[in-house]
Amino acid sequence: MLGLTKGLKYTLKNLTKQNVTTKYPDAPLELPDRFRGIQKFYPEKCIVCNQCAAICPTECIQLTGKKHPDPAKKGKIIDTYDINFEICILCDLCTEVCPTEAIVMTNNFELAEYSRDELFKDMRWLDENDANIRKENKV
Amino acid sequence: MIEHLLQSPPGWIHFLIFFCLGAILLAIVLGFVTYAILAERKVLGFMQIRIGPNRIGGRFGLLQTVADVFKLLIKEDIIPKLADRPLFILAPILAFAPSFLVLAVMPFSENVKFADIGVGLLYYIAVSGISAIGMLLGGWASNNKYSLLGGMRSAAQMISYEIPLVMSVIGVILFTGSLNLTDIVEGQKHVAYMFLSPIGFIVFFISSLAELSRTPFDLPEAESELVAGYHVEYSGFRWAFFMLAEYVYLFAMASLMTVLFLGGWNPIPFLGFIPGVIWFALKFSLIVFIMIWIRGTFPRIRADQLMEFAWKVLLPLALLNIFVSAAVKELFLK
Amino acid sequence: MIRTEEMLLNVGPQHPSTHGVFRIILKIDGETVIEATPVIGYLHRGTEKLAENLQYTQIIPYTDRMDYLSAMTNNYVICHAVETMMGLEIPERAEYLRVIAMELGRIASHLVWYGTYLLDLGAMSPFLYAFREREAIINLLNELCGARLTFNYMRVGGVKWDAPEGWIEKVRDFVPYMREQLKGYHDLVTGNEIFLNRVKGIGYYTKEEAIDYSLSGANLRCTGVNWDLRKDEPYSIYDRFDFDVPVFHTGDAWARYQCRMAEIEESLKIVEQAVEQFPAEGAIMAKVPRIIKPPKGEAFVRIESPRGEIGCYIASEGKKEPYRLKFRRPSFYNLQILPKLLVGENLANLIAILGGIDIVLGEVDG
Repeated sequence: MLGLTKGLKYTLKNLTKQNVTTKYPDAPLELPDRFRGIQKFYPEKCIVCNQCAAICPTECIQLTGKKHPDPAKKGKIIDTYDINFEICILCDLCTEVCPTEAIVMTNNFELAEYSRDELFKDMRWLDENDANIRKENKV
Repeated sequence: MIEHLLQSPPGWIHFLIFFCLGAILLAIVLGFVTYAILAERKVLGFMQIRIGPNRIGGRFGLLQTVADVFKLLIKEDIIPKLADRPLFILAPILAFAPSFLVLAVMPFSENVKFADIGVGLLYYIAVSGISAIGMLLGGWASNNKYSLLGGMRSAAQMISYEIPLVMSVIGVILFTGSLNLTDIVEGQKHVAYMFLSPIGFIVFFISSLAELSRTPFDLPEAESELVAGYHVEYSGFRWAFFMLAEYVYLFAMASLMTVLFLGGWNPIPFLGFIPGVIWFALKFSLIVFIMIWIRGTFPRIRADQLMEFAWKVLLPLALLNIFVSAAVKELFLK
Repeated sequence: MIRTEEMLLNVGPQHPSTHGVFRIILKIDGETVIEATPVIGYLHRGTEKLAENLQYTQIIPYTDRMDYLSAMTNNYVICHAVETMMGLEIPERAEYLRVIAMELGRIASHLVWYGTYLLDLGAMSPFLYAFREREAIINLLNELCGARLTFNYMRVGGVKWDAPEGWIEKVRDFVPYMREQLKGYHDLVTGNEIFLNRVKGIGYYTKEEAIDYSLSGANLRCTGVNWDLRKDEPYSIYDRFDFDVPVFHTGDAWARYQCRMAEIEESLKIVEQAVEQFPAEGAIMAKVPRIIKPPKGEAFVRIESPRGEIGCYIASEGKKEPYRLKFRRPSFYNLQILPKLLVGENLANLIAILGGIDIVLGEVDG
C-alpha cells in the first residue's frame, strides 16, 4: 500500500507544477544554431565541384553547371541545382564538404506538402530559403 | 410532485411530463459527461505536466468534447461484413440503456429525485448488471478476436466484482434497515457511513473502479494488450454509445457512492447554510477526482490477479465487514 | 456439446505494444499462449548491403537509423571499427565529447524504455515524466550536433562539432537534476505493488539460457552475469571512470527493470566524471586523409550500447567503400529468446515480457 500512496503523492505534486509543453504551432520553436534544417543555396558562390552530390548518402542532390558567360574567366557556374526532399535525410554532409560554403543549413524544418512533387526543390527555391541561417555561415 | 404524479391515474399528460423530466435528466447527464471527459483530460494533463485540450472553445478547450462528439456523429457507420449484424447494432444500446435507467432511483437532494422506490439500491445493482451483457454481445458480435477476448474479460470482471460490491453495501443496509436510497441518506444525518464501515467503503470503492473498468482495472479495454477491447470494431456513434455508457456509469457510481457512504446531501457540521445539491456535487466531484487521480498514477492489474483479488481479498473483506457492521450497530447505534 | 479450440491471434504488425512494426503469431488457448512465432523484417532497409556502395563517412548517417533511440553508440561503433583498422589516435577532447554524448544517449534510451514499458503495463503518466527528462537530454544533444534523433555526430577520427559555449556547464547542471527526477520515478513506479505484481517472476530465464541465446546488455546482467564491455573490454576512455556494473540475479522482468534504472545512475556518474575531467582545449579531429581508405583486411569491434553488445565487422579491400559490413545488432539477438519465454504465459504477460526485452525494431530489422 505504501508504494501506491507514494505514487499518488508524486502525481498530485505534479498537478500544480508548471507544465513543460511548448506552444509550438502558435509560437515558433526555438532551435539551437547548429540545427540541421533545410539547406540554403548560394548560386553565386557555387563552383560546380560536384562534391555535395558525391558525398550525399542518399543521392538526393542533382546539379548541372555551364561555362562561365564571361569568356575571360575560367571555371563553371551553376545552371541547375535540385534537392529531392523526399529522400534527403538532412545529414549535413553536403554543407560539410562544400569548399565555398555555397550550400549551408538553416533552422527551417517545416517541409510538409500536399504533393510529393512539391518536395522536389530547385535552385530558386533553395536560394530564397534564406531565413534562420547558421550564424557561422551568415554573410 | 413526483409522488403525486406517480399515484394519480395514468394519462398522456403524465407520459409527457415524465418524458420531459427524463429528457432534462438526460441533458444534465450528457452535460456532465461532456465536462467529465474534459475534466479528466485536463486533470490528467496537468498531472502529466502538460495542458490538455486547449484549442476548441477558448484556452480551456471548453468545446473540445462537443467537437469530438460531433466528429463521431458525422463519421461513417461501419459494420464489419462478417459481424453478427443484429447483435452488433443491439450491443451499444444494451450497454447504454441500463446506465441511464439506474439514474431513476438516484436522489440528488431532498427535493431533486425521481422514483423514490423502496428497493432502490437493489434496483440499481440489478439493472447495472445488464450492461455486462451489452459488452459481451459487442465483443462477440464484432467477430474479432481481440474484441472477443475483451468481451470475455469484461464479463468475467463485471460478474466477479459485482459480488464484493453488493456484499460491501450490506453493512450500510444493516445500519439503515432499508434499501431506499433516501432513507440511507437520512440515516447519515449525524455521521457518514464511510466512518462507520470504513472497510465496506474501501471494498466498495475498489469494486466500483472495477465495475467501471477504470484503471487499474481497465482490462476489458486494455489498450496495450487488446488494442481497444470489446469495442475494437465499433466506430462513429456506436462507439460513442459505449463511451457514453462508461461515463454515465461513472456519474451513477459516483452518485451512489456519495449517497451510500459520504452522506449524500447532508452538510458537514456548521456549514448547513450551503444547499444540499451543492454538497452533493462537492462530494461527488471529490470521488470523480480521486478516480481520475488513480487513473493518472497506477498501472494495470493482470487478469488472473484481478480475479484472485476479487475472490480472495475483496470478498472475504466484504464478508468480514458484514459482521463488523452488525457489531457496530449492536454496540453503538442501538 | 461444448467444444473448445485454439485460436490464432495476430499481434501486430500494427499493434500498440509491439514498439514498431513487429508481428507475433500466437496460438492461444483462452488467454494462454501455446505457441508464439515472431515475424520480423517489416522495417528491413538493407543497411549492410547499402553500405557496400557507400563511403565510410556516408555510412554514419545510416547507422543513426538502426537503433534510433541511441544513435550515438551506433555512430561510435562504425567510427571505432574504421579507426581500429586505420590505427588512428583520437584526440582527447573528442573522446570526452563522444563519451558524454554516448552516456547521455544511454540515459535517454533507458528513459524511453521506462516510459513505454510502463505505458505497456497500463500506466500512462510515467511516460510523460520520462519524456520530460529525455527532452532535456535531446535538447542538449541538439545543441551539440544539430539533430534531435539522427545525430550523425561522430566522424572517423573524431567528432564533427566541438562543444558549444556553455554546453559543458549545462551538462553539469543536468546531472543533479536527473538524479532528483530519478527519485521521483522510484516513488511513482518502483514501489508500486501493482507494478511489482506485474513484473516479478515474469519472463524468467537462467544464466545459462541467457548465454546460450547470446543475450547481452541488461537482458544478460539481470541473470547475474557480470558482463559490461565498458568494464571488461574498455574502449574509448572508459577505463578512466569509476562506475559500477549493476548486476541482478533473479532473471525476470523485475531484475531487468532494476538493472536499467541502476544503469541510468551509473551513466550519470560517468557523465559527471567526464565533465569534471573534460580537457579545456584541444583538437576534436585526428589527422585523417580526405578520402578514408582503411587498409586491406578486416576488423570486428564491439561496444556496449543501451540494448547490449553492438558489434561492427568490416572487411576492407583498401577501397573507399567497405567490401562487407556487418552489424551485430543487440536487439535482434535479444529478441530470439522471445518465443521460448512466451509459451504458457497469458496475453497480459506477453506485453510485459516483450516490453522487458527492450527491442528497437529499426535495429532488429537492420
